[in-house]
Amino acid sequence: MPPTELLERDAQLAALRDRLSAAAAGAGSVVFVGGEAGIGKSALVARFGAAVAREARVLVGGCDAMRTPRPLGPLVDMAPQLGSPIATLLEDAAARDRVFAHLLESFRERPTVAVFEDVHWADDATLDLLRYLGRRIGGTRALVLATYRHDEVGPRHPLRVLLGDLATAPGVDRMRVPPLTRAAVARLAAGIDADVDELLRVTAGNAFFVTEVVAAGGDRLPASVQDAVAARLARLGDDARAAVEVASVVGRVAAPDLYARLGVGGAALDAGVASGLLVEADGGLGFRHELAREAVLATVPGGRRRALHGAVLAALEDVPAGHVDLATLAHHAAEAGDADAVVRWAPAAGRHAFALGAHREAWAQFVRALPHLGRLPDDAHTELLEAYGRACDVLDLDADGRAAFRTASERWRAADRTERWADALTNVARLSIGLGENDAAEAAIAEAIDALEGLPVGPALARAYQAQASFRMLDRDLDAAIAWGERAIALATDQGEIRVLASAHNTVMASLLLKGDPTYVAHFERTIALAQEHGIAVMHANAHVNRGSGAGELHRFEEAERHLRLGLDLAERHDVESQATYARSWLGLTQMYRGAWDVVASTVEPVLRRDSSATIARIMALVALGRLRVRRGDPEADAPLDAALALALRTDTLQRLAPVRAARAEAAWYAGDLERVRAEAAAALPMALQAEHPWFVGELGYWLWRAGSRDALPLYAAAPFALQVRGRAADAAAAWTALGCPFEAARAAAESADEHDVRAAVVAFDALGARVAAQRARERLTQLGAKRIPRGPRPDTQEHPAGLTPREAEVLAGLVAGSSNAEIAARHGVSARTVEHQVSAVLAKLGVDSRAAAVAEAHRRGLVPPT
Amino acid sequence: MPRYMIERTFPDGLAIPSDGNGAAACLDVVGRIADHRVTWVHSYVSEDKKTTYCVYDGPSPEAIRAAAKATGLPVDKITKVSVLDPYFHH
Repeated sequence: MPPTELLERDAQLAALRDRLSAAAAGAGSVVFVGGEAGIGKSALVARFGAAVAREARVLVGGCDAMRTPRPLGPLVDMAPQLGSPIATLLEDAAARDRVFAHLLESFRERPTVAVFEDVHWADDATLDLLRYLGRRIGGTRALVLATYRHDEVGPRHPLRVLLGDLATAPGVDRMRVPPLTRAAVARLAAGIDADVDELLRVTAGNAFFVTEVVAAGGDRLPASVQDAVAARLARLGDDARAAVEVASVVGRVAAPDLYARLGVGGAALDAGVASGLLVEADGGLGFRHELAREAVLATVPGGRRRALHGAVLAALEDVPAGHVDLATLAHHAAEAGDADAVVRWAPAAGRHAFALGAHREAWAQFVRALPHLGRLPDDAHTELLEAYGRACDVLDLDADGRAAFRTASERWRAADRTERWADALTNVARLSIGLGENDAAEAAIAEAIDALEGLPVGPALARAYQAQASFRMLDRDLDAAIAWGERAIALATDQGEIRVLASAHNTVMASLLLKGDPTYVAHFERTIALAQEHGIAVMHANAHVNRGSGAGELHRFEEAERHLRLGLDLAERHDVESQATYARSWLGLTQMYRGAWDVVASTVEPVLRRDSSATIARIMALVALGRLRVRRGDPEADAPLDAALALALRTDTLQRLAPVRAARAEAAWYAGDLERVRAEAAAALPMALQAEHPWFVGELGYWLWRAGSRDALPLYAAAPFALQVRGRAADAAAAWTALGCPFEAARAAAESADEHDVRAAVVAFDALGARVAAQRARERLTQLGAKRIPRGPRPDTQEHPAGLTPREAEVLAGLVAGSSNAEIAARHGVSARTVEHQVSAVLAKLGVDSRAAAVAEAHRRGLVPPT
Repeated sequence: MPRYMIERTFPDGLAIPSDGNGAAACLDVVGRIADHRVTWVHSYVSEDKKTTYCVYDGPSPEAIRAAAKATGLPVDKITKVSVLDPYFHH
């Protein structure tokens, strides 16, 4: 078979060459190479790899077109070339993080091209790896190429999420491989008798399709790739055709001895290669192109296909243990319809995938086994239900997960296994919280604890205590949370249950913080220490994020910002997406409260953009954006606050409803709708009063006071709000300023009867850019009979476009008017020497080297005031 | 893309020369705001040149503000608007 010409890819090859040169010099990058199936992505990448084989190490791995691809499949493919320690570490599912780190290190050592084929089929662990690499590739000497079928990646496809996450990553780019032009099609079809225009029309320039048609001889143009491949297949002898069919079921490059065990002889395989459908690669045989394999597979009738899968399964099971690929075995077992084999392989494949973080694949494996659970021994059956439940939990399939744990708990109960029954019930409780069914959760956890307390103490009781503590904390029932949390800490310490211990310290920390009890710091430090000692990144990040958001809820924004930033940084460094997202949302809210309005939108935008952002993060981000727009007097404030309300109502928890209702009350206030202010505040106040939450009661009560339907707040209401309601405007303003809330401080000052305070409020609102609040404050000044009302933001408080100070701007005006230094000096009552310095500064800031050039630049930039 | 009307105040009056330098200044604005996915449609200037009403297309009020900051232009008030033509309903 003559080597295929690679047409019209010079530009892409050149671009890849440039990237490899940059990588060799230490500036690595990731390129996602997209295009339709068959367009020539693999051919391009293969040609590039061959061309640079002497200057760089070329690693190639592929993702499987299976329902349940092998977790980290491409990396497994590359393992032989990567050698130790990566190859050995890969066998230990718990060492995933170290595998990633070693791979990155390996990329720093020598120029490398790493090819990941077909990442539209990537499993979750591979997607995590690509995300990890995408964020860190800059300092390496590697060029990572990831090919994908862009037309198979819809808006909800996991690869689409990854591409979005990496959209702003510096070393990541995309390349699109286009269809062939008429000229290229004509060139390929030169040897056959075909109508080039017709060929172009039918194939749309798809390289694979064109070469298939050309190989078939072109006397009858097939209507589709399917037809073209079927035609090629039809011309094979029976043995060869059978061999090709077997290959389509085997699925990937396989050694000849596997074919031999499947009864396929060498001659038949040779015929398959001669036909062009199969190629020899990596010491084995496989299809020339995945599209051909798919097309051949489609011609194999169901019964024969199942039988072939069964034969492949049997042949693979015969391989000595240690080289068994669980995902592949489970795949063939399912396709063969062999329930016993499914039950033999799918659970193990699922557990392996779960340990590697390939969560969707794990779930799919467990789902495969669900219909056949009856074939398992009782304990294995129940344990599998729990493994499935955990997979559902991670994927936010709370209803399915809970149902699985419920069934598991009933089965353990029927078998009199109290500890396991109660442990499963703890999971039922946790998932009930996720479903917003707090009553069900309370009932379940109480039952679990009751049962476990009647048994010798064990880890299940520690877990149950910790779950109860977290529920109480979420409900803001803080004393109870602390009590349960302390019990969990005591047990977990005895038992050496690290994760439970760290979680418990975390919960107690958050509860003490929210209570205003300073001993929270000790628990915080304990959580951090445990997380660092045991390398639990998610816990380390979470501790900071919890402290930050807790401080934020208490309006202690300096502390909040410090810990949210630390948490965000840790989360991003360790790819803990959920913590990063929550940290971002709270950071945006904090920046809004602190008056850093220009950065809020860019902080929260990634949270709102991702479909997969957790609801709690989305709610806080929407509140931040909504409040920002309300305070600035900008349009579209209602949309985010309406969306936030819809989400908060679904969670039905105080810590979401109160901030949303408070923000909406504020929006109604600045819209002048007193009735709506009352309605919004009243909607969440009862819940806040029940929890005696000083800040929620404080703000909601404040709005009711401003709308005229309340004249006092409970004693425990937060001080700044309490002071405002008692009419102590200046003291309130000082309290707000101490918390770092300039807008609230100005608002308090504006409520004063003292003209002085209100005037200061106007200036503060103007400085912030709070249009409507400034206007209201000005109206109040008039009401108070003030004579001189400050005009809008004064010219010298606005930034000069060229960064000139007001004096420098005046000097520039002098230059434009043609004045000499002496004249300018006289006009402003300064020395000529001073003016010389100022002129130099002006020239420097404008980036010019003469007065004439400065004048021209001033005109060019529109800096010239009218005469 | 939503459309926004921005009111701006220039206490010293806005001066854009009606020659090559003025054209360059305007194109400079267009270029700088493109990074924020904002498009300058057109503007109306008051007779004393102290107030302008500018029509912009952009993804959000925050993008409009970021674009304004990049060009050093003030923003007094942003309103979301939609176009109404006298002959639209003809």
